[in-house]
Amino acid sequence: MLESLQYIYAPQIVNGLSIGVAVVLMALGLTIIFGLLDVINMSHGEFYAAGAFISVSLMAMGVSFWLCLLLVPLFLIPIGFAMERLLIQKVFHYKDRHILTLLLTFGVAMVLEDGYKIIWGANPIKPSAPISGASELLGVMFPNYRLFLMGFGALIIFSVWALIYKTQLGAIVRASAYDKDMSSSLGIPVKRVYALTFAFGVALAGIAGVLLAPIYSVFPTMGRDFILMAFSVVIVGGLGSIKGAVIAGILLTQLQSISSLFISPVWSDPLVFTVMVLVLMFKPTGLYGGMKNA
Amino acid sequence: MKKKFQTKKIALAVALSFGASLVLAQSGPIKIGVVTPLSGTYTPIGEQVKMGLDLAAKEINAAGGINGKKIDLIYEDEEANPAVATQKAEKLFQVEKVDFLTGTVNSGSTLAVGQLAERNNKLIATTVSFADSITADKCSPNVFRVNARAGMQSAALAAWVDKEIPKANIFFIGPDYEMGRSTVSAFKKASTEKGAKDVGEVFAPLDNKDYSPYFGQVRAAKPNVIYTSVAGNDTVRLFTQMDEYGVNKGVTIVGASGTVTSQNMGAIGKSANGFVTGVGYSPKLDNPANKKFVADFQKAYNKLPDLYGADSYGLLYFYKAAVEKAKSTETDKVRNAMNDLSWQTPQGTKKMRAGDHQAMQDMFAVRVENGEFNIVGRVPSDQAIGPDTCTRF
Repeated sequence: MLESLQYIYAPQIVNGLSIGVAVVLMALGLTIIFGLLDVINMSHGEFYAAGAFISVSLMAMGVSFWLCLLLVPLFLIPIGFAMERLLIQKVFHYKDRHILTLLLTFGVAMVLEDGYKIIWGANPIKPSAPISGASELLGVMFPNYRLFLMGFGALIIFSVWALIYKTQLGAIVRASAYDKDMSSSLGIPVKRVYALTFAFGVALAGIAGVLLAPIYSVFPTMGRDFILMAFSVVIVGGLGSIKGAVIAGILLTQLQSISSLFISPVWSDPLVFTVMVLVLMFKPTGLYGGMKNA
Repeated sequence: MKKKFQTKKIALAVALSFGASLVLAQSGPIKIGVVTPLSGTYTPIGEQVKMGLDLAAKEINAAGGINGKKIDLIYEDEEANPAVATQKAEKLFQVEKVDFLTGTVNSGSTLAVGQLAERNNKLIATTVSFADSITADKCSPNVFRVNARAGMQSAALAAWVDKEIPKANIFFIGPDYEMGRSTVSAFKKASTEKGAKDVGEVFAPLDNKDYSPYFGQVRAAKPNVIYTSVAGNDTVRLFTQMDEYGVNKGVTIVGASGTVTSQNMGAIGKSANGFVTGVGYSPKLDNPANKKFVADFQKAYNKLPDLYGADSYGLLYFYKAAVEKAKSTETDKVRNAMNDLSWQTPQGTKKMRAGDHQAMQDMFAVRVENGEFNIVGRVPSDQAIGPDTCTRF
């Protein structure tokens, strides 16, 4: 009994945690773009793939992994900025904004996915992890890179939360989201704030791509991998809430991880979506709905 | 009769006016239709099929053809889609009036085109499809298979495991859909019959991103052999994650032949080392026929042949031997000639089993070592073939 607790359950929980951090990283950009801009970004997964592909190309040119973490967002911010200005803004002011932006970003996702196939080919690419080896944790071997990912991911999540809720920049962004007319009459360049917020979400997806590529490998359809899970996390956590995303992310991945010990793994996904449906039925705003209550 | 004579005369005149040789115009070529994926996911397989067939046709034509007739290959793209495959096959049977048809890759396409062949009273052969059913419960008098089926691959692998690691404790990891379930159950049956112990199994969803949640179960079962039939990018993740967690330490990883391929081997990297699988062909086979085939193939295409290329190459020699034996291209005569026919291929002698139209051949166990498949064992054809379960003819 104690043995199974130590060798099966404990590693399973720690392991689920490392997947949870990956999912929260994906959900973070999604929830910010939704919470602040009210845009459902279906191409979020493809920007995650973009981050991974760009890092693969940079590393092939000899750039170190760590520099990639810095360079990839710099590549993606202008792309995200341009996409918001040139595409999203075009349909942003219509009444059925949700449907239009959803379709628009879905189209962008398809174009990007095929673009990756043309540029990088259909075969998977596997960048090597910058940190190798494994450490013993509770008597079980645990890969060092996953441990690093948990720590570093938590750091990113905390920084983003602090940026939005504890800085003046964050206050400007939240004010623009809350009441764009009032904000712009107070001298806030609302349009630029919107575009930059979108670009920020895209850059976060890119960073997730760089970080997760050594574990999950890189290929054109990789964007679809996390997107369903990330959407569920955003919905369960409450659209736009970072705290909600973190709690829901950890909760759902633990549910998936622990349940896969007892039921066929194929059923652990439906289990997650059942939770999502239940939340939508009984608390449509999610656990921590809205940007207003952090 | 008169009309036929006139057509011949016109054909002759046309042929002569274009300066074509008299022989060609008189006998007309043997037309072989090839319905194979030239676009889409299976393009790399379709390419090998085409390269193998083209090379064999060139050789046979240069040596005087079949009964003095040249082979004419007519290609159609099936896009690995059974619906498209049947359309294209219908066109080849009805419009082009092909004598024989091959090339289908997807097992669904082979089964669908097989039914069409029955209606058109023509023969087809697959050189790629693995599904056991094609020459078992869904066998057809008009369908032949010259490549090894899935069951033969597991039999070969089980024989190798039994020899190297007797009484192995095997853990099974499969993708949760038809192919994954059937390959795992086939290997489980083949290996436990030889005395191995089944210590557990896990079926992960297709396109699973993280296998680490299942490693606890794997560790708890303490296997010394892990069998897997994941494919494509799932293999990349499973193998590199097993390496990451050290699950593969002291464990021999074996699996289906499609698990590690030239497409995903690069991404798996050193984590693929030591993987053993059962196959029907390897370019490394050490016999004169294969050495010549590999050299000619490389000269023609600057590429190594894989099992699809080799089996497609061997197919035309099978058809040649059958037509020469039958002295005809008529369906019934050729079918009779094909039954129990032995012919030479790069793998050595193959024999077409009359009872289910499944070719019998020696099988090989191969191990991945630094990006190459090295042959580590050989299983004679009679031990790998398995029982004839076809009851339709």
